[in-house]
Amino acid sequence: MGLILPKHFLSRRQLLQLSGFSGANLFLGGCGSSLFSDTVGQLVEPLNQRIEELLLTQKPVPEYPVSAIEPDKLLINTFDFAPEIDPTTFRLTIDGEVSRPLQLSMTDIQKLPLTSMVIRHVCVEGWAAIVQWGGVRLRDLVALVQPKSNVRYAYFKSADGYYESWDIASALHPQTLMAYKKNGQPLSVDYGAPLRLASPVKLGYKQSKWVTQIKLVSTLLPAKGYWEDQGYEWFAGL
Amino acid sequence: MTSPLSSHRQVRRVPTQTFWVKIFHWINIISLILMITSGLQIYNANPVLGGREGWQFPDLFLLGGWLAGGRHWHFAAMWLYSLNLLGYGLYVFATRRWQRRFASSADLQALQKSPNLKRKNLAWHRLVYTAIIPILLLAILSGLAMFKPAQLHWLAALFGNWQTLRTIHFLSVPLVLLFTVAHSLLALKVGSIRLIQSMFL
Repeated sequence: MGLILPKHFLSRRQLLQLSGFSGANLFLGGCGSSLFSDTVGQLVEPLNQRIEELLLTQKPVPEYPVSAIEPDKLLINTFDFAPEIDPTTFRLTIDGEVSRPLQLSMTDIQKLPLTSMVIRHVCVEGWAAIVQWGGVRLRDLVALVQPKSNVRYAYFKSADGYYESWDIASALHPQTLMAYKKNGQPLSVDYGAPLRLASPVKLGYKQSKWVTQIKLVSTLLPAKGYWEDQGYEWFAGL
Repeated sequence: MTSPLSSHRQVRRVPTQTFWVKIFHWINIISLILMITSGLQIYNANPVLGGREGWQFPDLFLLGGWLAGGRHWHFAAMWLYSLNLLGYGLYVFATRRWQRRFASSADLQALQKSPNLKRKNLAWHRLVYTAIIPILLLAILSGLAMFKPAQLHWLAALFGNWQTLRTIHFLSVPLVLLFTVAHSLLALKVGSIRLIQSMFL
């Protein structure tokens, strides 16, 4: 989850340090190409998203055997800091356009059926890791709050200020979990304890850690997600 | 002084290319430049060779400004690149061009037996530009496998593990660059500058 910072920031500074090159040209060059790539994204992303929506089915993605787990490959990315959350006082709020908004403790959540899956976690940076996640299906949690029929999106708020939004089809996918276990062990703080999103159908930055609130809504707000609002694609389906 | 006028009027065949082939060739070059430069931008976010500590390509060769921008360009230019290749494929079959214009067993025989250096060069030329077609297709297939590894899991599985898949996709960059050099040199050797002009103008 999370990503590297905008690349031209760092490399521009490094280049300036190395060459003593006049900064203005590089600055304008970097900015210009970045602005233009936003336009390219806005032009083509609707088509790409349409195809990603067509490819998405509710059929489970084939899983890997436990022996295929790659414990060292799952890198830790955060946009800011890793919040320490007391699991005994932690509450997950599920609300929005629903008939029965709920607040659940970790004990409540762990009483629900546990689903375990070994899937490939793919980061937008290009790396991937085969991970076992254990947790409760998001669709089971959604069923508890009885969403209105017009619900089309799920918003996720995290304790570190990270925020995400998903299309409802991906959120209800049978392998989209609110996970509290990783590779058979309780989830650690760095990986999103006590509760995080995990799914084989989305890129890593969609899979929020330290989730405290799930809001089911009918319209997409202008704030779509931490990285999306900086220029990354919203659907990010795999 | 004995040379008759007729020798000056000897008919020299000027190479020509059809309009559509020139269009395919141009779009292929432009889309490959976009795919490679935006692809190297994506590469730099987590180098295929060496991971986060790996060597990165200099800004000069990159397109998009940062990872998100590189991805926007890559997933836009992929349409130009793959639809152009598809159009070319349909054209090749519709015009039966595949029977005449690609490397055949005759070229392989010429390479082994022909005493004629010109014929050998032509065979190499045809062999090299035929060989780039599967490489261009492999770039699309390995790219699709990485773009949608969950929905196209059967395709991703063909490439073995993730690192192998990334490496194969990345190898299309040096292979295309190597091809560009070999193809240009062989074209010059086989048909001189007139052959080059026939493809570009």
